[in-house]
Amino acid sequence: MGLIKIFTKAHCPKCPAVKEMGMVLKKEGVPVLNYDLDTVEGLGEASFYSILATPSIVIEDEEEREVVSWRGVVPSLQEVRRYLLRGIS
Amino acid sequence: MSTVIEIKGDHQGFKEDVETTDMALFVRTSDEAMYGWDRQKIVDALIRETYVDVDTAKEIAREVEDLIATSKIKMITAPLIRELVDTKLIERGLEQARKMHTRLGMPLYDVDQLILHPNKENANVPHGPEATNLTLAERIKKEYALLSVFSQDVADAHMRGDIHLHDLGFIDRPYCSGQSLEYIKRFGLSLPNSIAMAKPAKHPEVLLAHMVKFAAALQSHFAGAIGWDSINLFFAPYLEGMSDQELEQLAQMMIFEFSQQAVARGGQAIFTDLNLYWEIPKHFENVPAIGPGGEFTGKTYSDYLKESQRFAIALFNVYQEGDGSGRPFFFPKPLVHITEKFFQTPGHMDFLYLICEVASDKGNTYFVFDRGETAKISECCRLSFKLDQTDFEDAKQPWRMRYCALQNVTLNLPRIAYLAKGEDAQLFSKIGEFVEMAVKAHLEKKFFIERLLSLGERGPLALLAMDRDGTPYLRMHRASFLVGMVGLNELVQIHTGQEMHQSKQAFKLGLKVIAHMKLMLDKFSQRYGMRFVLEQTPAESTAYRFAKLDLKFHSPQSGHIVKGDISKGEVYYTNSTYLNNSAVLNPIERVRQEGLFHPLIEGGALTHIWLGEAKPAKSSLANFVRKTFQWTQNDQIAFSPEFTTCNCCNRTSRSLRSSCAYCGSNDVDGITRITGYFTKVSSWNKGKLGELRNRYRNQAFLTEKEGEMELVVNTK
Repeated sequence: MGLIKIFTKAHCPKCPAVKEMGMVLKKEGVPVLNYDLDTVEGLGEASFYSILATPSIVIEDEEEREVVSWRGVVPSLQEVRRYLLRGIS
Repeated sequence: MSTVIEIKGDHQGFKEDVETTDMALFVRTSDEAMYGWDRQKIVDALIRETYVDVDTAKEIAREVEDLIATSKIKMITAPLIRELVDTKLIERGLEQARKMHTRLGMPLYDVDQLILHPNKENANVPHGPEATNLTLAERIKKEYALLSVFSQDVADAHMRGDIHLHDLGFIDRPYCSGQSLEYIKRFGLSLPNSIAMAKPAKHPEVLLAHMVKFAAALQSHFAGAIGWDSINLFFAPYLEGMSDQELEQLAQMMIFEFSQQAVARGGQAIFTDLNLYWEIPKHFENVPAIGPGGEFTGKTYSDYLKESQRFAIALFNVYQEGDGSGRPFFFPKPLVHITEKFFQTPGHMDFLYLICEVASDKGNTYFVFDRGETAKISECCRLSFKLDQTDFEDAKQPWRMRYCALQNVTLNLPRIAYLAKGEDAQLFSKIGEFVEMAVKAHLEKKFFIERLLSLGERGPLALLAMDRDGTPYLRMHRASFLVGMVGLNELVQIHTGQEMHQSKQAFKLGLKVIAHMKLMLDKFSQRYGMRFVLEQTPAESTAYRFAKLDLKFHSPQSGHIVKGDISKGEVYYTNSTYLNNSAVLNPIERVRQEGLFHPLIEGGALTHIWLGEAKPAKSSLANFVRKTFQWTQNDQIAFSPEFTTCNCCNRTSRSLRSSCAYCGSNDVDGITRITGYFTKVSSWNKGKLGELRNRYRNQAFLTEKEGEMELVVNTK
């Protein structure tokens, strides 16, 4: 099963919305990984996906291939779910 | 400078003498006069140079005198007396005094070698009396820096090879600089200590002469590169009404002036970077233009697009032709900024084809990618200064746009991995320690340079202290402090058993290491109010030095890790964050993967595409450049062809050969890019030669298509 990667920073006005979205999806059983760009782990992982803005979301398939990403924007929960249905089975 | 002392007469008599002035011992000092022996001079020196008390100084002087008197030495040198005094200081446990009393200099053998053989630490230094002077001076200043400017732990870290303090021989100068032609257009050439002052230039040829002279003056005050911003644009107000032929003549003058071995420092050509734009950079669009005589022309720079573009074309036409032997010009380096606006400016495709043709044919072009709102001034092998909001304010008065990097300190990353012994926690903790040491070195160099600058226009850095616009030429508050890295690939290899191109996990560890370094530097920047940034150090000799030192200190493990040929001594670590030079990777994939590191490396980064003998079509390279801009985060790329130049018939052919393709002579020299510039292979150090043999020249990705060679651009 694939997963969602969420990239945020401490002082980023739009980030709480994405973090909340991540918590909702996690409760629904979707594997969610959170990365804070102020940490080594987070900044390293963000660099791998060329993420230069927060918040960002990356959806990957089972083989860790990027299905879709939102960079510096907050998508709607429905939009994310739509891609999850397509990309994760 | 002579330092010989001759002892006349027998030693016994000498010992029994009470008055030192009667001793038949003569000292030939550095001012080449002969002086009789005077023990008091030892005392004076100890009091002047150290904190030793008078009684101890007198005691030491007498002991040294006794030692000389009882010895059977017939010839004694002044350095030997100093060493004898030093041994007495050591006997008394006065380590600090011994350090302060140290004499700096070189053994006779070393000087002999240096005068007879070329220096290979920097391939841009030719061999000759002027270069020897430079190297001799550098050696003394290097010792001075390690003893007097830096603390013992920083100096020891350098000597051990944990870190490398670059340009120690230029300790009394900042590292490199970026500037605007507007400064000399507005203020003329009025340099401190100069015997003549020149008013602002009225003619393009004079402006060029001012630029070259100012560059030479700057070369004497910086250790490294001298970069010039938007050079075609700032020349433009002087070029109205000039024919194509006249423009090309001016372009030719500029390139030859900067490329021929100058009579400047150490006979070195000035490491010059010309930043060029096809469009009018956004931040200069509405800026009032300065024209002949330093007067505002009444127009803005947007009105000079045509002249600016014509001059850029003229420069590349000259690069395309090469020098008198058809060789590529080594300097000045043209850096073309590729931006969103570049692709929106009419005529960009023709210009892109022209610069790609030069890249394929001669290799000169550097493609600098400024994505989004980013704007940069590039210089050195890859260093660039990203402009921030205050710079855009300064851009309204472009002569204010002067930048510098004060120093560059590089970390030996493989060393960290050897010490960590596979433990993650140790690895990241050691990286922290090494970064901290680099920061300490920067603080110490900054303190020293500020001391020199505080002497103002009467001090040694008068040029950098000169104030023509209300601010000293060197704007310390905009200075960068560079922290570089060598051998990320080998760090990952030691720690995980795989090189970065071999697995995603290994690659991600590389990113984590650089992320850790960046975050640490961000914290130090906040703490000290200074700008510490990562830079991909060119490491022309550092990658070799670190590998050699690790073969000594971390053998046998290092024997399996260093790259190159150990049996020939041609060893090196992979430069900065690069993937293995010999890895077979699709070039666009290499550009993409290496580019993932670039946003973390604010001081500048570059990916090389080694072409070997291949000469891809301009359309193919243009496509590659466009894809690099659109699909990757890569900061800068350069295509590197190889050449052979014949010292017999003076002709130049493609690829590296052992004999001339035209006359068959074996008296040939290879030419290709060493780090960020072209030079003759015969001047390379052994480490770089090892790397040259290993470079993957993309053979599998160069194909013939409709009679033209194409560089394949496929991405996953």
